[in-house]
Amino acid sequence: MKQAHCIYQDEEHRWLAIARDASKPGYIIDTNEYVVVHGEEALLCDPGGIEIFPAVFSALSAECDPTRLAGIFASHQDPDIISSLALWLEFKPDLKCYTSWLWQSFLPHFGGQDSTFVPIPDPGMTIRLDGLELQAIPAHYLHSSGNFHLYDPKAKILFSGDVGAALLPADNNDLYVQDFSRHIRHAEGFHKRWMGSDRAKRDWCERVSRLEIDMLVPQHGAIYQGADVQRFINWFAALEVGVLRS
Amino acid sequence: MNAPEPNLHGIAPRTGELARIVRVNEEIKAIVATAFRINLMALNAIFLAKRAGNAALGFGVLSNELRRFAQDLTRHMASLREMTSGSVGSVTGVVQQQRMATILAAALKLSGDGVPGAREARRRGAARLAEQQIRLRSLDLRLRAAVEETQQLVELGGVLARSAKIEAAYGGSFSAALMQVSTDFAEVIAQIKRSLEVLGKERLVKD
Ligand SMILES: [Fe+2]
Ligand SMILES: [Fe+2]
Repeated sequence: MKQAHCIYQDEEHRWLAIARDASKPGYIIDTNEYVVVHGEEALLCDPGGIEIFPAVFSALSAECDPTRLAGIFASHQDPDIISSLALWLEFKPDLKCYTSWLWQSFLPHFGGQDSTFVPIPDPGMTIRLDGLELQAIPAHYLHSSGNFHLYDPKAKILFSGDVGAALLPADNNDLYVQDFSRHIRHAEGFHKRWMGSDRAKRDWCERVSRLEIDMLVPQHGAIYQGADVQRFINWFAALEVGVLRS
Repeated sequence: MNAPEPNLHGIAPRTGELARIVRVNEEIKAIVATAFRINLMALNAIFLAKRAGNAALGFGVLSNELRRFAQDLTRHMASLREMTSGSVGSVTGVVQQQRMATILAAALKLSGDGVPGAREARRRGAARLAEQQIRLRSLDLRLRAAVEETQQLVELGGVLARSAKIEAAYGGSFSAALMQVSTDFAEVIAQIKRSLEVLGKERLVKD
């Protein structure tokens, strides 16, 4: 059963991680969903697929008022990211969905109408959440051709979508990375196969190295914190990507 | 938060409605094909009557009528088809709305009853579903009325076929051939009648 864990709190400003679902059917990839709460509003990052909607919805509702959801941030267009869109809109029809302009006319296949989508231009944009300024950081071609991460400069958290993802064994339910070198083995195959562009990868590493990041929170697997964040960036910078087999 | 996670695969998908539309469409297609056959048979009958000359004057008139009947029937079926293809959109809407309502209900149940916004979400969903069902129901009524009208037309076709049989008896040396043609007519029209009966029993929505 999915549960929301508070991974950051500063008064009215919180990050919730809805992570690691041991009870979902094994043939569905495990996903993490994140909620940024600030004052009266909340933003849901990569809400996940249709199948896990009830679990995500109830986990979110246990920790925050779901009517405060103002928006959804979709890092890219994958079904494990955003196929539940219609259901969230069913609950709250005026939700805004922030996503790359590239996917603006594709995501309506999952639900929503023209007024639902806020297209993010290639260089990124600021997303405001009841006074808090969040940054959509370009991560194109990692792995999707229109791809964004979300940076919260106040909480120093970077939501990194599929970057940093690890396909962990079923018995590993740690919320945070415990042992980087052991953890990263479960990330290697995924990054080599899914991340298509070496140049995009180097650009991203450079871009995020300039940010102050306490936690790097991916859509699959465990959260990198403290020194593990830079460890991950260095590891990724050195990794050969876009290869079918190593 | 110890409630068991609902298994969405256990929620039976409501595919019955679409399956019904498919059956209705198949039945319509069968009638259209048969109407085409009547048209050809009537043309043949007209030529046959011409060759039989004075002996088959009445038969010739009836063949012309049967041909007109086949054309009317084709027109009727075309409008029926238009109706059912229009209903695919409405039915899909209902099926989708039902599926979403079921998943949303599971989510709200998992979250306990006090979730803010739950009542509004349920009410909105129910209103949308009701609206779509009303649309489907009126389509269903129109479809049924159209089927009844077609059934009356086919009754007329049956009368024509029976009269053709009687006329065939006066066909002299062509009598056997004319009898064969009119028997074929009667059989084909009986087939259409059966198809229409099936169609008349189909409902796009369950009451
Ligand atoms: Fe993806
Ligand atoms: Fe993913």
